[in-house]
Amino acid sequence: MTEMLLMTHVLFGVACIVTTVWVFVDVLNGSAANAGRIRAMSRAAAAFMWISFLFGGYWYVTFYAADKAIILKGPWPMAHAFFMETKEHLVIILLLMATYLPIAVSNDLVTNKSARRLALCLAAAVPLLGLFMEGEGAIIAMGVKVGLLGRHA
Amino acid sequence: MDTQKTDTVPTGAPQSNSVSRCTKGFAWSLALSSVVNALLVVAKEKSPSMQAWMKRMTGHHWITHVAIVLIVFFVGGIIFSKLGGKESSENRLSLVTMGGVVIAAAIIVAFYLIAG
Repeated sequence: MTEMLLMTHVLFGVACIVTTVWVFVDVLNGSAANAGRIRAMSRAAAAFMWISFLFGGYWYVTFYAADKAIILKGPWPMAHAFFMETKEHLVIILLLMATYLPIAVSNDLVTNKSARRLALCLAAAVPLLGLFMEGEGAIIAMGVKVGLLGRHA
Repeated sequence: MDTQKTDTVPTGAPQSNSVSRCTKGFAWSLALSSVVNALLVVAKEKSPSMQAWMKRMTGHHWITHVAIVLIVFFVGGIIFSKLGGKESSENRLSLVTMGGVVIAAAIIVAFYLIAG
């Protein structure tokens, strides 16, 4: 059950990253032909981010305490002390950016330079921060693993 | 009548620099709520009473943290959208937005690097 929650969290996080990269490429090649697709994909990216956030948040609040205890007693306490602590707060910024993306792309990106620059910045920042989150998640999982291995060694 | 539509920006076409009030309002709100997020991290980690209050409010300090930041983002966005803004400030929207995000992320990372 908890593993399914975590995998759903990761799956939709990756979906948000991929979708936002799609938006970035489409905005780079912005035209009247792909304006509708940019808006649709931005909404999809925001939806994927919210789903990932809700699954991850529920898991963190409900189940993380046991993993935290294992990490802190294991050889990689920084997996919680730095990586989880930063992840649980940086992800809020990621959620805000993903939520704002559909608003930013609602302008005329073909002729409006300011709107296009804003959309490109957001569509670049979301996948970059998203990949950082994925890396932090991997280190946290590894922190639990080495904690359990140390316990049984 | 010529009804043919172009799907790319024609060379020499006038560049519109007007973005919606909602875009401007929520850009400022994104920057503000990101910084509020970072300052809340420092406040709750440095003040046990603050963290205890946040835990009392919803049962978990992180849920209260998220709720406060989201309220700032949505309420701030609506208020800033109604206030509007100068058209000249539109060129700085990406700078404001990314500036707020980078400053907030730097505060969070630096805090846990130093305090952790």
